[in-house]
Amino acid sequence: MSQVWVDSWTVFLREVMRYRRDRAYWVGQLAFPLVAVAFIGFGLNDVVRLPTGADYLGHLATGMLALIVGSSGVGGGMTLIQDRESGFLRVLLVAPVSRAAIVAGKVLARVLASLMLVGILVGILAVFTPVAAPHPLAALVAVVGITVVFVALGIALGTALRSAESYRLIAAFVTVPLYFLSGIFYPVSTLPAATRLLSWANPLTYGVDLLRYGLLGVNEVPVGLSVALLVVLTGACAAAAVAVLDRGTRD
Amino acid sequence: MDHAPPSQFAIEVAGLQKRYGEQVALAGLDLRVEAGTFFGLLGPNGAGKTTTVSILTTLARPGAGSVRVSGFDVAWEREKVRRTLGVVFQEPSLDRELTAREHLDLQARFYRLPERRRRVGEALERVGLAGEADRPVRGFSGGMRRRLEIARGVLHRPRILFLDEPTLGLDVASRAAVWDHLRTLHAAGGTTIFLTTHSMEEAETLCGRVAIIDAGRRIVEGTPARLVEDLGGDVVLLSLDPRDGSAGGSADPGEAPDAALAAARSVEGVRDVSRHGSGLRVTVREGTRRLPALLDALRPFCVVDVELRRPDLEHVFLHHTGHPFEPEQLA
Repeated sequence: MSQVWVDSWTVFLREVMRYRRDRAYWVGQLAFPLVAVAFIGFGLNDVVRLPTGADYLGHLATGMLALIVGSSGVGGGMTLIQDRESGFLRVLLVAPVSRAAIVAGKVLARVLASLMLVGILVGILAVFTPVAAPHPLAALVAVVGITVVFVALGIALGTALRSAESYRLIAAFVTVPLYFLSGIFYPVSTLPAATRLLSWANPLTYGVDLLRYGLLGVNEVPVGLSVALLVVLTGACAAAAVAVLDRGTRD
Repeated sequence: MDHAPPSQFAIEVAGLQKRYGEQVALAGLDLRVEAGTFFGLLGPNGAGKTTTVSILTTLARPGAGSVRVSGFDVAWEREKVRRTLGVVFQEPSLDRELTAREHLDLQARFYRLPERRRRVGEALERVGLAGEADRPVRGFSGGMRRRLEIARGVLHRPRILFLDEPTLGLDVASRAAVWDHLRTLHAAGGTTIFLTTHSMEEAETLCGRVAIIDAGRRIVEGTPARLVEDLGGDVVLLSLDPRDGSAGGSADPGEAPDAALAAARSVEGVRDVSRHGSGLRVTVREGTRRLPALLDALRPFCVVDVELRRPDLEHVFLHHTGHPFEPEQLA
């Protein structure tokens, strides 16, 4: 078992070596939620009244943070495509490294990226929105959970798909509905009944709700339920990603 | 570190088959490579070389047959096999965003090498990349990349080093550098090298033992010298002065006289003599050594020109398969 962790650490280091130089990525990931909050949030803040009584600006800001965390996870699957295109994937596959270590290393690297992004963004958003961190542990669980689920989804897609273009297309096709149905832009309870059912079936809804509880103290779902669901889902998705990678990388 | 069951063979392949859909890549391949050999798998494009390497390095599943590498079964003991391997792939396998040093550092970590920093530094030195160690691979030339890939493949002193077409696409100087490096590596001992190539020259220059494959089957195997020798020896073409009919015996004054044929046959090592234009065609073992004696015996017939043709693996391939190695080149 300790072998797996040493190898995971090596894969993690490699991912960090790679993305720390990618300045455009960091600028984009940081700028997008800030721009969205500034342009949409301020405009709608006085127009929208939430049934929870909370400020719309805080609702949108926390939603955007969840979106960035999800996109950070999807980026983890993208690295699999990049590794296949550069040929580096074969080096990982012939090394005495278990598939679990490859998945764990990529997941850990993305969790670190998500935490750094959220940390920086919360610091900035706290200045001009109600975002704070009343329940940091809940926020931590939400960030880790959302990241792991999206990296796992990304690895499954990245194993099945061969090109960066098709990955971007399919990943967007799969994730955009998940985002829209997760309560990022409006509380799930305001949706029509049919759509609301879909939202409750969407795992991201619980992550977004838990993140909002952690950063605003506002929630629609009991915290215990969200935590339990995310923990179970995280384990299941990670295991599934390992299985998919193992099966999908042997001709 | 798991220790393999003792075996004198680094690689044992029996009846290996592999198909991709309808395409048959390997049709019952048999191979045995003794530990410590510099082994060459030679074949034209599409013969099944890369498929063989993929299966031997655990990247592809064997379709049928048994395959043991370092004594372990590649289908069931993948992780144990992997621990004993170094691989240099035919296609590029570097992350363009990482530096040369980072590539080797990661490799050292994957194989749990002690004294990582020192060994990585020495490896960079050995392949002449010490000066470029901290630049991203993005800016490297083809030759530099290949050298880095080889340095990575041997960093952990693998029991078996696989090289799939290691000099494909390299310029002459880079190719020579790679050859030198591989020779030095093998001379240091302890490593079995399994190289695939479609270059006859590469196989003859580097490999102690060669298997020629075609259409997913092994055609013939042996040392390059032996394979060539089994064809019967070198061919010497001798032109005789056609005006000089003094030694007599020929019906046609433009042809070599019977006495000349007899004289050539009397030389040691000569296996066959026939007329060739106005001269002779002599098949002889160890042609360069026998040539003086041959010329001596033919002195009365006035030899005006000599050509020695050494058959190479190209002729071996043609002899065993009945078709040329690269048809477009030999046409």
